[in-house]
Amino acid sequence: MLDQSELLRYNRQLIIPDFGEEGQGKLKDSHAVIVGVGGLGCASATYLAAAGVGHITIVDFDTVELTDLNRQILYGEEDIGKKKVIVAKRKLSRLNSKVEITPVLAKITEENALSLIDGAQVVIDGLDNSVTRLVVNSACVKQKIAYIYGGVSRLRGMVTTIIPGQTPCLACLRPEGAGGLGVLGVTPAIIASLQALEAIKLLIGRSPALAGKLLLFNGDDMKFQLLEIRRNESCPVCSPTLPR
Amino acid sequence: MKAVIMPGFSELIIVVNPTGEVTREGMLSIVMPWLYAPWPGTQERGIIEMTVPGDTLRALLVELSERYRQANVDFELINPRTNDLDFDYDVLVDGKNYVALAGGLDAKLKANDTVKVKVLWRWDG
Repeated sequence: MLDQSELLRYNRQLIIPDFGEEGQGKLKDSHAVIVGVGGLGCASATYLAAAGVGHITIVDFDTVELTDLNRQILYGEEDIGKKKVIVAKRKLSRLNSKVEITPVLAKITEENALSLIDGAQVVIDGLDNSVTRLVVNSACVKQKIAYIYGGVSRLRGMVTTIIPGQTPCLACLRPEGAGGLGVLGVTPAIIASLQALEAIKLLIGRSPALAGKLLLFNGDDMKFQLLEIRRNESCPVCSPTLPR
Repeated sequence: MKAVIMPGFSELIIVVNPTGEVTREGMLSIVMPWLYAPWPGTQERGIIEMTVPGDTLRALLVELSERYRQANVDFELINPRTNDLDFDYDVLVDGKNYVALAGGLDAKLKANDTVKVKVLWRWDG
């Protein structure tokens, strides 16, 4: 049930057909985990908090550095040296005090991944490397939690929504490529906004458009491309036929 | 030149002017069906044959991009701005990155050379 201030606050999205008070109520009762609050995570956390997702857990082990400030929009110069999750919680709570923000200061590993995402309806990728993404992917498959992959470099980015048991998981696709290639600040903002949109649709019960699809964004030429992807029958992570 | 193409997971494996039979033996199922877009009739067999005007790596990549363009798939391997390989892809010839080839993209390909075109994933945040 939404109170008067919530009806006013979320008015612009309440009047969207197929969203309404019912959709807002579902968002309020939802729990999203954002793994990594860097360029991607700062933007997706901001939009999920603004939209009224009831409980957001943010996970990161890092501290704010000067080199983060071109893209990590929750942090300012005064935050350099501080723990990202602590600063992010303060900023997100200032944006929407009705949202419960749980900061977790931790490096994600195979040992803690399952417990970090426990209880979430969706996990949103804000990471900066392939190894941790594959760990999170595997944990989400095990826990049957939707995982919205997003990745960027320079002016390019990718997004896909992984629904365990239905869509390919990240490991299905044998993804290759290097990291550390540089990032223009607006690129993660674009990709994270798409991730947040997918998460919101998923949480209110609408079909995520990027389930089984890989969206490629090319900011050099301003091109979007949507590609169909299929499950790998021999995937070591999500194949139902292989022992794990 | 003749190019025999085997779409994989997120890559194309291409054998140039093969002197023997090319099969998919040992390759797993395909999870990127869009790689077949210009040749939908070949999906069941899993192997595509294409004739390329020219004998260089660049000629092969340009022809591939053109075939995909005609099928409304954006697979522009050579970036027109840089005239080099686009940042979304990597290309190996017989396991060696194209930048290490004498002539780079303009290197001449020879019979049975295996070219791998990979779609690169994004890992930064």
